[in-house]
Amino acid sequence: MKWSNMTFLVRRGMSSIWHNRVMSFASFCIIMVSLLLFGLSGLVAYNFNVIIGNIEDKNEILVFVENDAEPYKLAHIADVIAANSLTERVVFRSKEEAWDLQRERMGAEYSVLFEHLDENPMPSTYIVTINDLSMIEQAVDDFSQIEGVEQVNAPYDFAHFLTSMSNNLGIVGIAVLVALIVVCLVIVYNTTRTSVFARRQEINIMRGVGATNTFIKLPFFIEGMLIGVIAGGASWFLTKAAYESVISVFAGDLSIWQVLGMVDVLSFDDVQWLALALNCLAGAFIGALGTVFSMGKHLKS
Amino acid sequence: MVELKNVDVRYRERGGVEALNDINIKIEDGEFVFIVGSSGAGKSTLLKLLTRENQPTSGRVFVNGYNLSKLKGSKVLMLRRSIGMIFQDFRLIPNLTVYENVAFVLRVTDKSKRFIRQRVPYVLNLVGLSNRAKAYPSQLSGGEQQRVAIARAFASDPGLIIADEPTGNLDPELSYGIVEVLKDINQCGTTVIMVTHEHDIVKYFGGRIISLKDGSVAFDDTIGGGDEVE
Repeated sequence: MKWSNMTFLVRRGMSSIWHNRVMSFASFCIIMVSLLLFGLSGLVAYNFNVIIGNIEDKNEILVFVENDAEPYKLAHIADVIAANSLTERVVFRSKEEAWDLQRERMGAEYSVLFEHLDENPMPSTYIVTINDLSMIEQAVDDFSQIEGVEQVNAPYDFAHFLTSMSNNLGIVGIAVLVALIVVCLVIVYNTTRTSVFARRQEINIMRGVGATNTFIKLPFFIEGMLIGVIAGGASWFLTKAAYESVISVFAGDLSIWQVLGMVDVLSFDDVQWLALALNCLAGAFIGALGTVFSMGKHLKS
Repeated sequence: MVELKNVDVRYRERGGVEALNDINIKIEDGEFVFIVGSSGAGKSTLLKLLTRENQPTSGRVFVNGYNLSKLKGSKVLMLRRSIGMIFQDFRLIPNLTVYENVAFVLRVTDKSKRFIRQRVPYVLNLVGLSNRAKAYPSQLSGGEQQRVAIARAFASDPGLIIADEPTGNLDPELSYGIVEVLKDINQCGTTVIMVTHEHDIVKYFGGRIISLKDGSVAFDDTIGGGDEVE
């Protein structure tokens, strides 16, 4: 195709947005709302993951070392724990620190209980955070077999609850996402089909004078893509406004964050350019794809 | 050249109704032919055969050197590009100017920008619409819109122009002007087939007349013009 004819078709696609403004506006709204739903779902899903991640980070496996362990043995235990592939983080708590902590927790009211003890009864402890809660049994088993380890305590019930919640949330998230994609595609497809149907005479004229399918489709493709990009930009703006207003409401009550274990809630500013690019790309893709499918069906009929 | 040999068309979806029955027509290059007949006589079916929108149930159709029975895919596009079509309802693209409507058919055939710049003003001048090049179809009268349609049909210099009731939506005085333009184009060597039910026009201009009745050729002969107007 000659360059001048190509630019004509591109210009035509652009001007058609205005000439068919009612249908363009309908397509714009549908794509914008679809992307808004996607965007908000994505942000909610991300923050849910952060919540669960934060809660998971608070789980701790306590590896108690034998009371008479020599320093070299302590170092060996630390090395073996750190070398385990499930280990995320290891913190050492000495006998003295454990003792101080215990007394602090019990408070002055019970201080009399400790007055007659001759020696520190608390063992040295490694506090281990693992990277996969579903493997907590495996980790406990591994740590128990290290020479010099007296006992290993782990929050099994809590870990199982979090693992199950994380899995269920994942399934629900995927189901919601798939449902959203299907609903959005069906709506976008039908809207563009209506748009194509409204311009069937124009298409028939083009066919009548011997235009190829590519020649007929190109302006519609450009039009659909541009509407998609504009809708993507608008949905980005709405997503930003909606997300930031929700965050500001929650930010007014810091205790909610503390309950949720979220200190580092996702700031929209951190992802805004990525979100804008994704919105525009997704909009262009949905708009172009919807148009091409609808056109293809119309041209075949 | 247009030739139909022993052509039958039956519509299965209408219970096997015979739309055309044993049609044999041969139209030589450069002829001007009127096709007349009442509603249901088979005029539209005949035109759809020539543009390969329909295929005959039996028989063979040849248009501009193409054997339409064997025509597939991109060859159908090539056939349509070799025919200029004019319709009763003009069928102009509403959001393109007169100039762009005419240029559109040249863009479809991937003509150069330079060629388009030369050809479009020429054909617009031929139909007397040089001064309306920037107007949109909605800003034109019916007669002017039909002239644009004629300019578009002639722009790619096709060997054959088919005009399907081109005067059907126009006042009688404008109708004669439209046929005059088609006659001028015919003088350039282009074959013109004009379907009409307006007998006055046919009698006025004369020439070869093919009359269809109940799907068959009832009359195919040449009559004189002008003096036969009642």
